Amino acid sequence: MRIRDFFLFRRYSLFIFITFLLLFALVLMSLRAKQRKGMEFFDALLMEFCAPLQKASTVVIQTVQGTFQRYIFLVNLEKENRMLKQRIAELQEENHGAKEVKLAFDRLKQLLQFREKNSPSMIGAEVIGQDPSSWFKSVTIDKGERDGVKKGMAVISPAGVIGQILKTAPHYATVLLITDYNSAIDSIVQRTRAKAIVEGKGENRCQLKYLLRTEEVAVGDAVVTSGLAGNFPKGLMVGEIKKVDKKGHGVFQSAELTPSVDLAKLEEVFVIMEPVPVPAPPKEEKTKEEKTKKTKKSKK
Amino acid sequence: MKRFFLVLFAGIFLLILQTTWLSSFPVQRMRPDLLLIFTLYLAFLFPPILGGILAFFMGYLLDLFSGNTFGFYAFSRTLVFFAAQFLKERFYLEGFSFQGVFAFLFSFLEGGLILLLINAFQSIPVGNLYSALFTFLLPQSFLTGLVSPLVFFLFQKARSSLFRQPEQGVNARG
Repeated sequence: MRIRDFFLFRRYSLFIFITFLLLFALVLMSLRAKQRKGMEFFDALLMEFCAPLQKASTVVIQTVQGTFQRYIFLVNLEKENRMLKQRIAELQEENHGAKEVKLAFDRLKQLLQFREKNSPSMIGAEVIGQDPSSWFKSVTIDKGERDGVKKGMAVISPAGVIGQILKTAPHYATVLLITDYNSAIDSIVQRTRAKAIVEGKGENRCQLKYLLRTEEVAVGDAVVTSGLAGNFPKGLMVGEIKKVDKKGHGVFQSAELTPSVDLAKLEEVFVIMEPVPVPAPPKEEKTKEEKTKKTKKSKK
Repeated sequence: MKRFFLVLFAGIFLLILQTTWLSSFPVQRMRPDLLLIFTLYLAFLFPPILGGILAFFMGYLLDLFSGNTFGFYAFSRTLVFFAAQFLKERFYLEGFSFQGVFAFLFSFLEGGLILLLINAFQSIPVGNLYSALFTFLLPQSFLTGLVSPLVFFLFQKARSSLFRQPEQGVNARG
């Protein structure tokens, strides 16, 4: 290489670097598009490093929020009731503590009952972080591959469907919420049994797609999972129809629904560990199939 | 090198802040993008090569913790960094109002870019996302622009107390 060429390279080195970095990002994007399995090693490593900090931060927030709310409440109480004695204040504080414990107990009891009723193969997980970007809807939970969590597993709560596992690290996982644009769940309208696909529509909204125009659906109808996709058990509440749109032409109508779970206030969730078995064909069909198999064999 | 890692940890800290503390606000929809402001600040502070790598890494982290399956932010944040680098010497960026406008514009433009990328890669009709442009992206960008002078000021304070040489690196080139 001549000296002149070297200077030319130095002159354009910054431009080459910028192009390289942007191209690298694009290559990464296309690689991720092909990626179907869990996370890569580097991704998992980073998540394992960052998620504990996230978890610690969430714990601090919850503690501070709880204390702060209780404190403000007590200060207000004191201001409003200057005449009350110290003993009443203490009792009230105790009462608050007991209430908190009772609420937590009730919530956990409800979760336990729900778990026992639905499927023994579920694990509870705690939400430790929300999506950092505003375009995508996901949460991070404190259970990962080591706990048996895998990509595609259904995530639910007693109130209904939450989403499915998108990425997994050894001890943490990312859940794609049903409101995300990339989410799609096979569902049915509970009252009319009309089949449709629930797709995410961003801010706490979903839409029902591929709902036949001939189906009669109304505002307030509940939408539940169909159980056909394999990940979600049948009959789990997805949401309630808020708007039906029959305008325009075509085979399908569209509807908007609000999820049954308040996805902005998620604290504990359940991950369904086993895929739901696809319902077996009826006995008659089975015997027919067996007969055809037998005749085929006999012909041979 | 020490400075590089300190900035890296600051980025991770801001990411955690964004996913936990900022999400606990009552109006959750509107959340200033601290990492974007940080990336813009990096553009003023760091030389192109080191800063570019940092911006790429910030985007990568953002992708990792978001429901984004493709890694749009690794691309967009790198682009934002270099665009800010390119513009920083052409505009006067010391004033609070200018910093706000700068952050607002970049937030809005990045949102538009993400929309295009979503449309290109994920086959979601832009029509579905178009409404989000004004109902969501515009106020969100405005909020980011609004808080950016304060965040810039805090970054500046933290930097001067950590390194004791505020001038160092501002006009450096990689």
